[in-house]
Amino acid sequence: MPSQAQIVVDNVSHMYRPARGRAVLALEQISLEVREREFVALLGPSGCGKSTLLYLIGGFLPVETGAILVDGKPVTAPGPDRGIVFQHFALFPWKTVRGNVLYGLERQGMPKEEREKRAQEFIELVGLHGFEDSYPSQLSGGMKQRAALARTLAFDPKILLMDEPFGALDAQTRGLMQRELLAIWQRTPKTVIFVTHDVQEAVYLADRVAVMSARPGRIKTIVDTKFDKTDPHIHKAKAFVDKVDELWDLVREEAIKAQGKRS
Amino acid sequence: MSTLARIGREAFRYTPLLLIALAWETVSRLELVSTTALPPLSEVIAAWIDMLKSGELQNNGAASFYRGVSGLVLAIGIGAVLGIGMAWWKTANILLSPLVEIFYPLPKSALIPVTVIWLGFGDGSKILLIFLGCMLPVTIGAFNGARASEQVLVWSARSMGASKLRMLWDVVVPGAMPELLNGIRTALALSFILLVSSELIVAQKGFGYLIGYLGANGNYDAMYAVVLTVAFLGFAADRIYLVITKRVLAWRE
Amino acid sequence: MARVEQPDSERMFPVWAFTLFSGFLRVFSILVLLAAWEILAQSGAFTPFQLPAFSRVVVRIWQDAVTGDLLINTGLTLYRALVSFAICAVLGVAIGVAMSRNKIAHWFFDPIVSVGFPMPKIAFLPVVILWLGVYDVSKISIIVIDAIFPVIAATVIAIEGVEQQLIWSARNMGASNRQVLTQIVLPAALPQILTGLQVALPLTLIVAVVAEMLMGGYGLGGAMMTASRFANSPGVFAGIVEIAAIGYVLVKAMALIRHRLLVWHQESTERS
Repeated sequence: MPSQAQIVVDNVSHMYRPARGRAVLALEQISLEVREREFVALLGPSGCGKSTLLYLIGGFLPVETGAILVDGKPVTAPGPDRGIVFQHFALFPWKTVRGNVLYGLERQGMPKEEREKRAQEFIELVGLHGFEDSYPSQLSGGMKQRAALARTLAFDPKILLMDEPFGALDAQTRGLMQRELLAIWQRTPKTVIFVTHDVQEAVYLADRVAVMSARPGRIKTIVDTKFDKTDPHIHKAKAFVDKVDELWDLVREEAIKAQGKRS
Repeated sequence: MSTLARIGREAFRYTPLLLIALAWETVSRLELVSTTALPPLSEVIAAWIDMLKSGELQNNGAASFYRGVSGLVLAIGIGAVLGIGMAWWKTANILLSPLVEIFYPLPKSALIPVTVIWLGFGDGSKILLIFLGCMLPVTIGAFNGARASEQVLVWSARSMGASKLRMLWDVVVPGAMPELLNGIRTALALSFILLVSSELIVAQKGFGYLIGYLGANGNYDAMYAVVLTVAFLGFAADRIYLVITKRVLAWRE
Repeated sequence: MARVEQPDSERMFPVWAFTLFSGFLRVFSILVLLAAWEILAQSGAFTPFQLPAFSRVVVRIWQDAVTGDLLINTGLTLYRALVSFAICAVLGVAIGVAMSRNKIAHWFFDPIVSVGFPMPKIAFLPVVILWLGVYDVSKISIIVIDAIFPVIAATVIAIEGVEQQLIWSARNMGASNRQVLTQIVLPAALPQILTGLQVALPLTLIVAVVAEMLMGGYGLGGAMMTASRFANSPGVFAGIVEIAAIGYVLVKAMALIRHRLLVWHQESTERS
């Protein structure tokens, strides 16, 4: 029966081949389905390959074993249908915030007036009004991440791939950005695959959390985490806390395994 | 990687040079270019062997070597002392660093005619030129290296009762080594350049002089031979220097 | 590594005073140097031949300016240096780009650059003259041979060092390979490429002067050699001053251009 999922990861394995040293199995037989407009988190200890999986879906790494289908078609290259946001922002340092946001729109061939308008819209959406002509080096970490978000949202990808986007931010900013991301997601719903090692973040943001094992990464379990995100005290609700604990145990198991392998 | 594999990899890396040598020989033999302008590589090598036999190569080489080494030793010795002194004593720094800054952008080759005016065509002018020209990179390297001395190391040495001079010797100088050695590397390359330049222009013996002499007499294959010798020596000196300094720095750890 | 530094409380003056002070110090020390030169020359410790007075040298420079010789010589040397620099910039970056994107280009040029870098390439000048005669072509060729190496090396390192995620982001937004190269890789590599160019620029001047000294004729190097042959020591010293001045101007100009081009970059150093 044909899958109705928007993203299908079918038995994907991936070898990591460094320039020097031996090849290592990064992912082992990952299978995952993501429905349209779902918010899925990939949770796991460092080195478990969650970012690798994201890059494979994004088309930045070649799929060698298994298949990844988006809307029924295999992924072969990066494309504007799957927008990516990186942990360290990857803003073009020689362009202003506006220049960065405009870049994707320019590549799409959007006419000048339209893209200027759209860029401004998204810069304001992420709360960077007044900083359109600033360079990334003049912005704080949180502001850089907003700019990166605006840049990716502007070219309207139907899928959002987020690689620990708030990992480089301090705790307060992180909390703020999480709420803002949810607000944006609720306004312009997209499919989101969100990589993180922060359990609370995963439970709060996602509809489902896929917990990954230590390297070689496998999907250990997939858990439903639909909570009422509009509730400002949701972090203290018993159901929420229990879920966080449950997932913490799972992740801790894997983190310990990962440590063991390293030493 | 096994030694054989490593040798193989290095050989592969330098194969383009072999190809160029082969191309040279072929192009010249087939007379695709004027053989005066480009004598075959084999004849160049033959001329090189002749000069080796006649001693012409060694005699001029010895003259160049003497000048280069003398100038360089002076430059390194005095330059290093100055650099470390400037880093260690503030007064020295205040007095000397403006001088360093002024002379840094001066193309040292501009000093060639002056050294000739002062010391004539012989060894003295070349040694002086190399000394003056090569001192600066050494001084700057020594200065930067000494300034970067780990504060913690200095304090712990002081707390162990080391006198200032002792600290200088035991902590600052070893700490300055990497940058100092890098400065000396620059000075080494510069010494070759200054030596060759000055000998090409104003000399009565030495490799540079020999090149000019052979060129003027139309003895082009021999000229090529000396040019390649000098170029290769410069390359070899740099590589040997790197190997030695790597040993020195590793041994230090 | 921490510098051996005084804590702020032990400083005598605030930081801004230091920067102003060191600026003055620079000008002051040049003046002191010139004054010392003049005094030393007049003192009779050296003959006027060995150390002509600074005043005498200034007169000589002035004379050259009046006859137009200064302009011709300076102009010619600058022309040769700058034309070579332009060639080095274009050719050097092109080779560097080719090397980092094409395995064959990399294989071919890598040993040439690696072996050629520490060679005293000025030694090839007689060969260049043999091939191309005694005209400007030879001068420009030897300058390019010498100064192109730092440009190539810097370009290769710069391009290889471009953050992969920048390239990925561009691809993500639909950029073609060509667009990635021209719109992302080259701008990202620019700071380091500029550094290579900044090394090459003074090199072009140095080699231009040496080539002129060897080949004679017009140009600052040629003029200096002529002066030294006529035992005209003020002329020789004038040449040193002129070359030093031009060297200083070129370096400063390049630094200014760098600052302009990298407005976005410098600010990051200020912020930290």
